[in-house]
Amino acid sequence: MQETRHAFREALKDLERQTLGGMDLVLQQLDRALEALSYQDVELAGMVVADDDRIDGRYLEVHQGILSLLARQAPVAGDLRIVAALLHVIRCIERMGDQCVNIAKLVPLSGHEAPKDKDLLDAIERMGQLAHSQVSQAKDAFASRNVDLAQDLVHQDEEINRLNRETFKRAVEIGDDVELREWAMFMILVARCLERIGDNTVDIAEQTVFVVTGLFREFADASTPPETATTS
Amino acid sequence: MTQLAPISSRRRRTDVIMRGVLGAATIVALVPLVLVIYYLFHKGLSAWSKNFFTTDPNGNFLGYPGGIRSAILGTIEIVAFATLISVPIGIGVALYLTEYGKDSKFANVVRYFVDVMTGVPSIVFGLFIYIVLVLARTGGSTFAAWKGSIALSLLMLPIVIRSSEVVLLLVPGSLREAALALGAPRWRVVARVVLPTSLSGLVTGALLAVARGAGETAPLLFTVAFAQSLTGNLNQSMNSLPIQIYNDIQSPRAEVVTRAWGAALTLVLMVLLLNLIARAASRRSRLG
Amino acid sequence: MNPEIDTKNKDATDVSSPDQPAGQPQQTAEPARRASTETKRTAHSVTVENLRAYYGGQESIKGMSIKFPANEVTALIGPSGSGKSTVVRCINRMHEEIPGARAEGRVMLDDFDVYDPKVDVTAVRRAIGMVFQKPNPFPTMSIFDNVAAGLRLTGTKSDNLRETVHKALRGVGLWGEVKNRLNEPGIGLSGGQQQRLCIARTIAIEPEVILMDEPASALDPVSTLRIEELVEELKERYTIVIVTHNMQQAARIADTTAFMLEGELIEHGPTNKIFTTPEDERTERYVTGKFG
Repeated sequence: MQETRHAFREALKDLERQTLGGMDLVLQQLDRALEALSYQDVELAGMVVADDDRIDGRYLEVHQGILSLLARQAPVAGDLRIVAALLHVIRCIERMGDQCVNIAKLVPLSGHEAPKDKDLLDAIERMGQLAHSQVSQAKDAFASRNVDLAQDLVHQDEEINRLNRETFKRAVEIGDDVELREWAMFMILVARCLERIGDNTVDIAEQTVFVVTGLFREFADASTPPETATTS
Repeated sequence: MTQLAPISSRRRRTDVIMRGVLGAATIVALVPLVLVIYYLFHKGLSAWSKNFFTTDPNGNFLGYPGGIRSAILGTIEIVAFATLISVPIGIGVALYLTEYGKDSKFANVVRYFVDVMTGVPSIVFGLFIYIVLVLARTGGSTFAAWKGSIALSLLMLPIVIRSSEVVLLLVPGSLREAALALGAPRWRVVARVVLPTSLSGLVTGALLAVARGAGETAPLLFTVAFAQSLTGNLNQSMNSLPIQIYNDIQSPRAEVVTRAWGAALTLVLMVLLLNLIARAASRRSRLG
Repeated sequence: MNPEIDTKNKDATDVSSPDQPAGQPQQTAEPARRASTETKRTAHSVTVENLRAYYGGQESIKGMSIKFPANEVTALIGPSGSGKSTVVRCINRMHEEIPGARAEGRVMLDDFDVYDPKVDVTAVRRAIGMVFQKPNPFPTMSIFDNVAAGLRLTGTKSDNLRETVHKALRGVGLWGEVKNRLNEPGIGLSGGQQQRLCIARTIAIEPEVILMDEPASALDPVSTLRIEELVEELKERYTIVIVTHNMQQAARIADTTAFMLEGELIEHGPTNKIFTTPEDERTERYVTGKFG
């Protein structure tokens, strides 16, 4: 026998699928933006900027879908938490997309022939990898409602934050070199974008915990491990 | 495009035949009824006159035989007294059955007996009272009007109980519930909610029982016997329409026989009137 | 025991009944609206302790304990046959009116056990009023008599019957609609009006608690919302327990919600919690419509 509210459940699943699909789009954009950056590929960067429309479109779709679901189906309890979380998550996705665009916009500005600093480049590359894995992990955590996986993202984010600080220090160090200076400034901006992407994944992790436990706790302070969430 | 099948000619034929058969049955049933009414009017109307209604039968072998005044009034008196006995008791029993007894063993036994009583031939009631009250000379008399009333009330009682129970059951349980939930004791629920709501139905039932009692002959034969003169004394024999008819129809005198028809017509019309009143009352209650 | 209450005069802002054409202004001169001199009257709380209810040999409530706080609306939700109506009927001892039905346990109205053998059951029902699913005004009585019926049927002497009746009608927001036809039959009103009449009838005898068994399920949506608003107001003076099939209704008007399943209390807590983060898996499944 079919479960009751079949149409509603399908609609809710679709919304989640669309939202998580948005995260795949972000991963794509992130990878391409980083590639454009390392190969100074202005064309690729242009594509990243243009393709942000897709993420914006996805945002609108999901937003509209949520409004419709709220109006027509009056979700409660667990379903309501999922809907509220999706609204949050799609916002994070849209912001992450914007960060990718910001990175892409920096590509033509950072110049082709400018000399580069290896340490700084390595740090940026490492940050890029981390950002990618964080986005991927956030998606998995939400999809599988895995609280532990979600909470682990905080630790991962520590690393990206640390690298961001290091990047800044390094840029200051090489700032005396007139030729490197401008390039280093742009790299700081790139690092900032990547760090922001990391923060967004932590937001998504918070939403994951909310859906499962009904409790909303900011994972703000990464030094204090979050309390084990109890269902009460 | 869907085709709607036409009626087959075989179905049409069956339809017509059935209509014919049922129509014929109706006519067969109506014919005696119409004949009875016709005869009543044909033979009885001629007896009607002013004297018919204002004088008593005088038992004379010659001359004017008298009217049926004492019979009419006697019937009214006897039936009224019977009503006074059977209706309150009957409604009381019905109230017990619906409000208190409900589905208990005792209540079901009572219902069974009431059903049995509706099937008892009226002459049996007459004989019963004859033995218990008449032969025993209760109240210092043999035949008496009040004894006839009791016999009639035995007849009327099950009718009142049955019809009252039906009417009382029609009162929605939600009304009783509402009254109980307000904190009313059960007797007040009955008195202030159940009875007023079912009142017109109870009246109708009572009137139907009265109409039935007014027409019974056999019980009166053994309990009231016959008297010619007008009397108000319930403790002695009294005249009544059924008895009057019973006697008169056997008379050799043609005028007396005609009087019997006149009396029969009167009785039928009285019962008819009572039925019409009952029907009008119930229609009003249904609309109200 | 009951302090004199200033009823809010609802006429001036009463939404005109659906029967009247829209936009028709209230023409009569209303007495000045008595502002918030209305005393919040503390009603009593009801505590059910280990209640068991039987229909013949079948146990339909299997040991339930719950407290209904004073001056709050508590909703009982659950699928059909869960026993919600039975519980409520045990509170005002209407359950035992069904042949073969009985109840065990205690139901405390503050400090008094309503099942105490010394207690007169009619007194219990006077203190704990009930409104039924299908409006049931007395058909042979006028609007006035219907409201007065509670007083008359219980033999309660009232110094000013008229004033009591008018006050009750105002209390349910019916006054403006019926004040010119108090002598007309009660059943001549619309469904929503009839139900409000029944509520007026109940509050005329000033109970402590009002039990409502799906009071709006037989009504159209507009009437339903008016009844819900009325419940919001009534809780200032009474403790209200409402059984409902309509979860959205419970979500709208109840302060506390209790979920029952097969004669047992599964979960009970603030309405907000029950509808956002219920604890029990069964509650979650019921409110999200996975069964029921």
